[in-house]
Amino acid sequence: MTSTIIELQDVKKIYKMNGVETPALRGVSLKINKGEFVAIMGPSGSGKSTLLHMVGALDTPTSGKVFLDGVDISTLKESDLARLRGNKIGIVFQFFNLHPTLTALENIELPMIIVEKDKKERQQRALELIKAVGLEHRAHHLPSQMSGGEQQRIAIARALANDPEIILADELTGNLDTKTKAEIMSFLLQLQKEKKMTVTIITHEPEIAQYAETIIHIVDGKIKVGG
Amino acid sequence: MKFADILKLSLNGLTHRGLRSWLTILGIIVGVAAVIAMLSIGAGMSQSMKSQMSNFGADVLTVSVGRTRAFGPESGFTNRFQPGESGSPPGMQGQTSQTTTTATTATLTDTDLLAISKAEGVETVSGIISGRATVQYLAQTVTVTVEGIEPSAWNSMTTSKLASGRLLESGESTNVVIGNGVANGMFDYNLTIDTQIRIGSKTFTIVGILAESGTGSFGGDDRTIFMTIQVAREIVTDIGNNDYSSIQVKVTDTNAVDQIIENVKQVLYTSRMVTSDTADFTVTSPTSMLATIQSTMQTLTFFLTGIAAISLLVGAIGIANTMFMSVMERTRLIGILKSIGTRNSEIMKMFLAESGIIGLMGGLLGIFLGFIVVGVISSIGFNIMGMGRMGTNTSVAIVTPELILFALAFSTIIGIVSGLIPARKAANLQVVEAMRSE
Ligand SMILES: Nc1ncnc2c1ncn2[C@@H]1O[C@H](COP(=O)(O)OP(=O)(O)OP(=O)(O)O)[C@@H](O)[C@H]1O
Ligand SMILES: [Mg+2]
Repeated sequence: MTSTIIELQDVKKIYKMNGVETPALRGVSLKINKGEFVAIMGPSGSGKSTLLHMVGALDTPTSGKVFLDGVDISTLKESDLARLRGNKIGIVFQFFNLHPTLTALENIELPMIIVEKDKKERQQRALELIKAVGLEHRAHHLPSQMSGGEQQRIAIARALANDPEIILADELTGNLDTKTKAEIMSFLLQLQKEKKMTVTIITHEPEIAQYAETIIHIVDGKIKVGG
Repeated sequence: MKFADILKLSLNGLTHRGLRSWLTILGIIVGVAAVIAMLSIGAGMSQSMKSQMSNFGADVLTVSVGRTRAFGPESGFTNRFQPGESGSPPGMQGQTSQTTTTATTATLTDTDLLAISKAEGVETVSGIISGRATVQYLAQTVTVTVEGIEPSAWNSMTTSKLASGRLLESGESTNVVIGNGVANGMFDYNLTIDTQIRIGSKTFTIVGILAESGTGSFGGDDRTIFMTIQVAREIVTDIGNNDYSSIQVKVTDTNAVDQIIENVKQVLYTSRMVTSDTADFTVTSPTSMLATIQSTMQTLTFFLTGIAAISLLVGAIGIANTMFMSVMERTRLIGILKSIGTRNSEIMKMFLAESGIIGLMGGLLGIFLGFIVVGVISSIGFNIMGMGRMGTNTSVAIVTPELILFALAFSTIIGIVSGLIPARKAANLQVVEAMRSE
């Protein structure tokens, strides 16, 4: 059973800064199925991050439509859109994902606090997740007291907190060593397989993109077909 | 997000910016403490003045020269009103002035006295002369207010309580009654009944000591020496033989005081050959005195509070500044919070809670500091407007529960209001823009 969970229809994004217009996306249409593992590739400045922000309901397109689970997100109120992000989407950015004055464990708990999960339940879940990423010995460390790789693993754990349907990751493995990269990728793969999560990652590394079933190439704000 | 959790995150932010948070709170502490101190000192002063004034006989009017409405409880009531618009009450002059005798220029005369006594509604009249004289006891010399009174009339009008001894009788030329402040504290050794003191060039025996603080019918008798008017004329030499510093008028009907004041004014216009425009005298009743005092106190309190309010305003600007800085610094964090599901309204609440907490903390500690300031002022006593040293037994400052609640509510509101614009700025940040910032 395959059904579309993410759909973009002719999405354009033009950044305006001081009167200068920078087109980042020049009309992107795509469909991602539930449970699919997608990698987005492309040269620097081609619009990959911009695309990911559209999919993650973090930014609004200049024109075109974004559907999540069949719902046009431009029709949602800000407060509903925020909760949609909290409940359905888990996102990991390239750097500085964590709340700097909360501990690793508290960071993992945070999305569950936001959607008002029961305290016992969320503490138990946070512990589970920190074990899953193998960092229970860092539970009470602040982000500044952890390595870059450790921070990324905490960020992944946090992205998983509310059992999202979609995991989005931007250059997740950019500054990690090969061993950690492999660990994280197999962890994501396992989630996709076991929990039927939809995973979309941005990467510029072909060996990472290999994990994905589908690779989308972006060049100059457009999808390059047959890349 | 539950409000308790929003509060926790706010507190987390505040504690992690420790010193900066405290400095912002300090701004509010100082402002609130200033307001508390000013308001309570104002309230205390007006209460202590009222308590003095409330001992006036409601049936006694005072006629004095000049139009000034200055007052000073330390000086004798009779010389409280100065001719002309300038000049401080004698009570504010140095206690050890070198002059032997000084007096206010008295131009109320026998003729005036007689005229008033015939006015409708007047029961008795009593002329008083008043001046400053040097008083010597043992090796010590002090300048004190001396009042010459007509004992039979004065005794019937006064509500003064005696602490010990008796009041004066007519014709006594070597006896005096002294205010409590003269007996206790003015000289190194306290004065008691039968003590002999030198006033000017004469020796007197103390036959009575009045009870404390402004308990006289004419108010503020605490630091005054009373003697019969004939003797006083020998000591206070610059008042003409037929002149008085002031005239006390006992009315027949306390309900008709306003009308009787008018009657007294009318007969004085005639006897002094002036009109209401050129009137060179003042007729006051205890009620009108009270009104004057209250309005003066109100002005003073307004003024003091205004100063305090300015410091609060500065504190509020401090909060706004800190909040703006904290929004700037945490732009990225706001982006993260939004990307994981936090609503704009929750971000807003988070920042408002933060500034509210700053305000509340500032309010709490400010009240505490205000208490200390008020306590210090009360215990050392202070001297404003010739009130003299009142600290030991009169509450100078009053801190009411209402004032505390008001200060707390006010400082919290100040915190929230000054955090409003920064909080809105934070709430309206675009997620992606916020994430992008360093
Ligand atoms: N906030 C912005 N204001 C103006 N221009 C922007 C903004 N964000 C992105 N751009 C521009 O839009 C284009 C696409 O940016 P985007 O971040 O999506 O690229 P990318 O493919 O993620 O690149 P990289 O691999 O370097 O991360 C770039 O030319 C960039 O300069
Ligand atoms: Mg990018």
